[in-house]
Amino acid sequence: MLDAQNLMVFYENMLALNNVTVLCKRGQIVGVFGANSAGKSTMMYTLSGIILDMKKKEEMAGGERITLLGKVVYKGEDISRLKPSLRAKRGLILCPERRRIFIESTVMENLLIGGYLATPKQRKETIDYVFFVYPALRKLSKRIGGFLSGGEQQMLAIGRALMAQPELLLLDEPLMGLSPLIQKVLVTSTRDIRDQRGITILITEQYARPVLPIVDYAYILENGSSVLEGTGQELLSNPDVRSAYFGV
Amino acid sequence: MNQKERRKERLDRGIKVRCDGIYALMSLKEISYLVLPRLLLILVLLLAPILIPGHYWERVLTIVCIYGMLAVAFDFLSHYVGLVSLGGAFFVGVGGYISALLNTHVGLHPFLAIPIATILGALICTLLLMPCLPLRGVYFAIATLLYPLLAARIIEALDIFGGTDGLRGVSGLPGKYTPVYVLIMAALLFIFGLRRLVNEDMGLVLRAVKDNDQSVRASGISVTRYKAIALFLGALGSCFAGAALVHIYMWAGISLFALDFSILPISATVVGGIHTLVGPFIGCLILVPISEALREFGTLRIVFYSLILLAFIVVKSEGLLNYAQRKYHQFERWVEV
Repeated sequence: MLDAQNLMVFYENMLALNNVTVLCKRGQIVGVFGANSAGKSTMMYTLSGIILDMKKKEEMAGGERITLLGKVVYKGEDISRLKPSLRAKRGLILCPERRRIFIESTVMENLLIGGYLATPKQRKETIDYVFFVYPALRKLSKRIGGFLSGGEQQMLAIGRALMAQPELLLLDEPLMGLSPLIQKVLVTSTRDIRDQRGITILITEQYARPVLPIVDYAYILENGSSVLEGTGQELLSNPDVRSAYFGV
Repeated sequence: MNQKERRKERLDRGIKVRCDGIYALMSLKEISYLVLPRLLLILVLLLAPILIPGHYWERVLTIVCIYGMLAVAFDFLSHYVGLVSLGGAFFVGVGGYISALLNTHVGLHPFLAIPIATILGALICTLLLMPCLPLRGVYFAIATLLYPLLAARIIEALDIFGGTDGLRGVSGLPGKYTPVYVLIMAALLFIFGLRRLVNEDMGLVLRAVKDNDQSVRASGISVTRYKAIALFLGALGSCFAGAALVHIYMWAGISLFALDFSILPISATVVGGIHTLVGPFIGCLILVPISEALREFGTLRIVFYSLILLAFIVVKSEGLLNYAQRKYHQFERWVEV
């Protein structure tokens, strides 16, 4: 599905991603774990193409120079130089860090904006599906996005991403700042989304424990490099990883 | 390694790294590295009136300095304090009218009238703008935009200060070179004074106000007080420019509140480089003479002028000085990854 080969990203002279290779097979949930500044978000930006926008913006403003190296292959096609909007059209959807919902639009409007690329029929069907996965949102559909709680906003953000009919969904830190209870709900629903809709999911998180049960394969990033990879069980059995990322 | 596997690396020049701390100034080379660019600006400005032939371009240089001070004040207020002020004309008008009134009605010599008008005008402007200080961003911009319009209409409607005819018979500055040198010195003082200020403790607070005024308030600092002080400083330069302008034109009228005095400094800031304080002045040094040189095209002048401005904004939105500074302080080289 997705094969990112030897990704290297420089922010000026700082190496944010160092030779990272990530493979995502169809129907898998792949986890990427790492501390702050490990390069998780940079990786998500690179995969979704947002980094091309950032690069252009920095060039215009004469800010720091962003250098991209490596290749992103998606469904057998090299999309490394493709604009983010075109990547979204091909079904590669990013659910950004910190949710970034449209805080002045209602829940329903947020979902409809996400469904811009979908056909009316798909849109209707997906809205029903989002309310099925996140029943909490159904009651709130007229509420202004900014008034939702953190957990509800995250559900809305994932719902909005689903509206764009993803084939590969990139979830950037979906559990950030949420209570263990909500985390559990989100993790279960993430697995349901994969099972019911056959969407491949790439999920990043700082703390691996809540996500690990649903992850088929995982990578651990440290200072921009991929230091370890394996199935959930393999990672759990590694004592260094256990202490650093699972808090055992 | 093929072409694709290389990237351009940007590094601070060794001399910059050493000069960053003021105590590292060990050799003449290091001192000159810091002083030369500044000295260049000062020398060019000081020698220009003598070298430029003809009274006309000398007058243009005077106008450059006036607009330059306005632009520097705009840059200071908008990019260091976060008060985007579109009311540059208001400062000019207040400073100009006070100086003209002091000169014609009280009979003060220009050299006395200008400083009084500068300080008094800045005080008045600060007091009048006080109610707007809690505003931020575009709201402050709109509010300040209304001030010069308001002032011009009040003078027109109430027929005070000479009404639409303006105040005639304002005495000019004596001497052939006096006006231009007075303005050059004032502009340099204003630029380098502000540059020093923004690096002092107070500048730290001001920049923090721009970034996040709630955090500043939470640190126990009165945001309004600092904004008022900054506004006063910005107004000082602008009112001085206005007061000097009146004595150069030997006339004060409601055109002092014209939008030109608000807009041209902003475009100069964009061209020269925002957030540099010197940049806006250099922007004026380019834009004002261009605007003069284009005069022979008649009405088309505005078209050419706008195109030049547009090209600058689209192609180099960082501004000239930011670009030049980067080239001066850093070098680039290709490295293989």
